[in-house]
Amino acid sequence: MADVAPLPEAAVAAERLTKRYGSLTAVEDLSFTVAPGEVVGFLGPNGAGKSSTMRILAGTMAGTSGRASIWGVSVALDPAGAKRHMAYMPENNPLPEDLKVEEYLTLRARLKDVPADRVAARVAKVMDDCDLARRAARQLIGQLSKGFRQRVGIADALLAEPKVVILDEPTIGLDPHQIVGIRDLIRSLRGQMAVLISSHILHEVEQVCDKVVIINRGRLVAQGRTEDLRRQLIPTANFTVVTRADLAAVTAGVLAAEPAALVEALGATDGWHRYRVALPAASPARETLAGALVAAGLPLREIAEERIGLEDIFLAATRRAPADLRRP
Amino acid sequence: MRHFRTLLAHELRTALLAWSTWASAALFLALMGALHWFAVLDASQVPQEGTPLESTFQLFWAPLLCVLPLLTMRSFAEERRQGTLAALLTTPASPAAVVWAKFAAVWLTWMTFWLGFTAFPLLVAQRLAGGADARLGDPVTLWGGFAFIAVSGLLHVAFGILCSCLTRSSALAALLTFVGLLAFTAAGGALEKLPIESWEWLGWLREPAAHLRTFSHMADFTRGVLDARPLVLYASGMLLCLGLAVLAVEGQE
Repeated sequence: MADVAPLPEAAVAAERLTKRYGSLTAVEDLSFTVAPGEVVGFLGPNGAGKSSTMRILAGTMAGTSGRASIWGVSVALDPAGAKRHMAYMPENNPLPEDLKVEEYLTLRARLKDVPADRVAARVAKVMDDCDLARRAARQLIGQLSKGFRQRVGIADALLAEPKVVILDEPTIGLDPHQIVGIRDLIRSLRGQMAVLISSHILHEVEQVCDKVVIINRGRLVAQGRTEDLRRQLIPTANFTVVTRADLAAVTAGVLAAEPAALVEALGATDGWHRYRVALPAASPARETLAGALVAAGLPLREIAEERIGLEDIFLAATRRAPADLRRP
Repeated sequence: MRHFRTLLAHELRTALLAWSTWASAALFLALMGALHWFAVLDASQVPQEGTPLESTFQLFWAPLLCVLPLLTMRSFAEERRQGTLAALLTTPASPAAVVWAKFAAVWLTWMTFWLGFTAFPLLVAQRLAGGADARLGDPVTLWGGFAFIAVSGLLHVAFGILCSCLTRSSALAALLTFVGLLAFTAAGGALEKLPIESWEWLGWLREPAAHLRTFSHMADFTRGVLDARPLVLYASGMLLCLGLAVLAVEGQE
């Protein structure tokens, strides 16, 4: 029976990574992991150090200090070994203009050590998966639209069936249909390969990723499952209340249900006032607020809990002051 | 170096399809054709010390300075500008394999150009057969000169590849190659012209200068004299340039 190599604990591991460009620190003391088969969103504002981190992990740039490993192989000590387990699609996705898609993917398959007898089959498979087979296979890359070029980059990343795929802004420049296609493709990779993906389209990341890593100014500010980060970073549950009652009456009704609540007036239309009510996340009043307002005799037209999405989590995490970032 | 053959095949194919290669080939053949034509004309009018073919080979510096930089300039500079070099290095292909493949592709292209040139003296010898000097297409001169181009080309091409590694601008790479090759080609002759004998403190330059006599090397090769010293000079220079090029590419990772 053939031996099966044990899975490493982390498909991607960054340990205290630091990258400095002269006096500018792009990445500082950054540590996180991606488990095998996990899809992880790598988020941060522009200039946060995402691309620098991804380039260090991909072995195309050396870090100043710290350790990066792919599938247990050190990127610095054995770059060729690490690259055998990994595929990387950089942000601007540079491609040779004068090659046809099929020729380019065939070349990349050979360079990525795909067995000679499987090259044609793998190229056909990834072109099919990325919807390149019908229209783009025989076109010069230089003649392709941005969307098709992105697909070529993703097809290249999947060619050798790597254990780790690092995608830097894979959906940039794509139309909504193409984004949905790429999202489904990445979703289909879950469990097969570890995916580290950076994107500014947080809605997409939320739908696709098992967890997120958020950095700001080169430092880790949050990481974990979206639900956990929601509890950690946004300790309140916000409700929108629409009623004819004035602020004093609403505040009195809300405080009767939860003394620690905050009420904020958002405006009024046709005599209907809109308020935001913030309750502590663990408050039992989350379930009794509507009943308490009705019991207080307020003419209530609408009450709804605001959905806290990844965008709110991202904003909360990246708004934290540098002093907050130093806290453990 | 496992991916050398794959990369070499890709580079040769790219060179074959690039308009710049064909433009360079046209420039090379036009230049060499004209030089050989004038050498034959001169020989027909005034008695010459050497054959027209030897005279033409002594002008090897003209295509070396005008055409070779056009072949080497894009190899790395253009890939760095487009970002495709970084993408190439995300594969398990090593920087050494990439450098050697690009070097070999340009060297083979350069040799193909010179192989094209060999048609000119052979045509002249054939057209003037009977009444003409048999030395017009002398195989010793022809293939000796070709061997010199092949051996010296190792260093010349490697230097061009190194220059292309150092910048993102193809034009600057071509300029660096031009200046470097000009200095190297002229160095031996220039050092010989200096009054080294009268300056004792420059005496140590005498021996290195003797090794850098590129035109003497060419003359030896065209006479059929194969000396090991030029071989060592050009081969070791090639290894030095390519080693530095690998370091430069690794430094860009």
